[in-house]
Amino acid sequence: MEPLLASSPVTSDANSRNGAGDLCSSKEGSERLKLSGDLESSETSSGDLSSEYVLLQLRIFRINLAVTALAVLVSILFVDLNAAISLLLGAFSGIIYLRLLAKNIGSLGKSSSSVGKAQLIVPAALVLVVAKVPELHLLPSLVGFLLYKPSLIIQFLLEPYAQKKSG
Amino acid sequence: MDSITTAASVVAAGLAVGLGAIGPGIGQGSAAQGAVEGIARQPEAEGKIRGTLLLSFAFMESLTIYGLVVALVLLFANPFAG
Repeated sequence: MEPLLASSPVTSDANSRNGAGDLCSSKEGSERLKLSGDLESSETSSGDLSSEYVLLQLRIFRINLAVTALAVLVSILFVDLNAAISLLLGAFSGIIYLRLLAKNIGSLGKSSSSVGKAQLIVPAALVLVVAKVPELHLLPSLVGFLLYKPSLIIQFLLEPYAQKKSG
Repeated sequence: MDSITTAASVVAAGLAVGLGAIGPGIGQGSAAQGAVEGIARQPEAEGKIRGTLLLSFAFMESLTIYGLVVALVLLFANPFAG
C-alpha cells in the first residue's frame, strides 16, 4: 500500500505547517477549518467561473481567426485583392465588436445592470469607412464583419469536445 | 439625387433603425433578465450562462446591425442616387 503511506505523511505535514493539525483537536478549531475550507472553495469556484468565460472568449477568438484566414484566402484566390482587403477589414471589425460585446456581457450584473450599446459603433464606423474609401467594397466588408457568426456556431458545435478534453 | 429620393432615403433610414431595434431590444432585455436571475439562483453556472448569453446576444444584435447597415447605406452610399 505504497500510495496510502506516501499520501498520509504529506497531508499531516501540510496540516502541521499551517497549524491546522492543532486546530483539529478542538471543536472550535474544526469549525474554523470548515469556514476556511468553505471560503477557499468559494474563491476557487468564482475563479473557475471567470476563467471559464475567458477561455470561451479565447476559443471563439481563435476560431474567428481561423475562419477569417480561410475566407481571406478564398477571396484572394477566387475574387480579387480589394475584396480580400475589405473582407479582412470587416473581419477585424467583427472581432472588435465581439470583444466589446463580451466585455459588456462580462460586466452585466457586476458593474452595470444593462448591456451597453457601445459595440454598435463598430459596424457604423466600418460602413462609413468603406463608403468613403473607393478601393474598398461594401459587401465583402459586411460578409467579413459577419464572420463571427460561423465562428460562434463552430464554437457551439465544438464545445462538447472541448469540455471532454478539459474535464 | 433629387429631393424626393433624398427625403424617402432619410425616412427609410430612420424607419430601418427604429423598427429594426424594437424586436432585438425586447429580446435582449428579457434574455439579460433571465441570465441575471439564473446567475443569482445558480452562481456556480455563471460561466456557462454568460457564454450562452454572449452567443444569443451576438445573434440577436445582428438584426439591429442589419437595420443600421441599411440605414447607413441609404444615407452615405445610396444606390438610388442619380
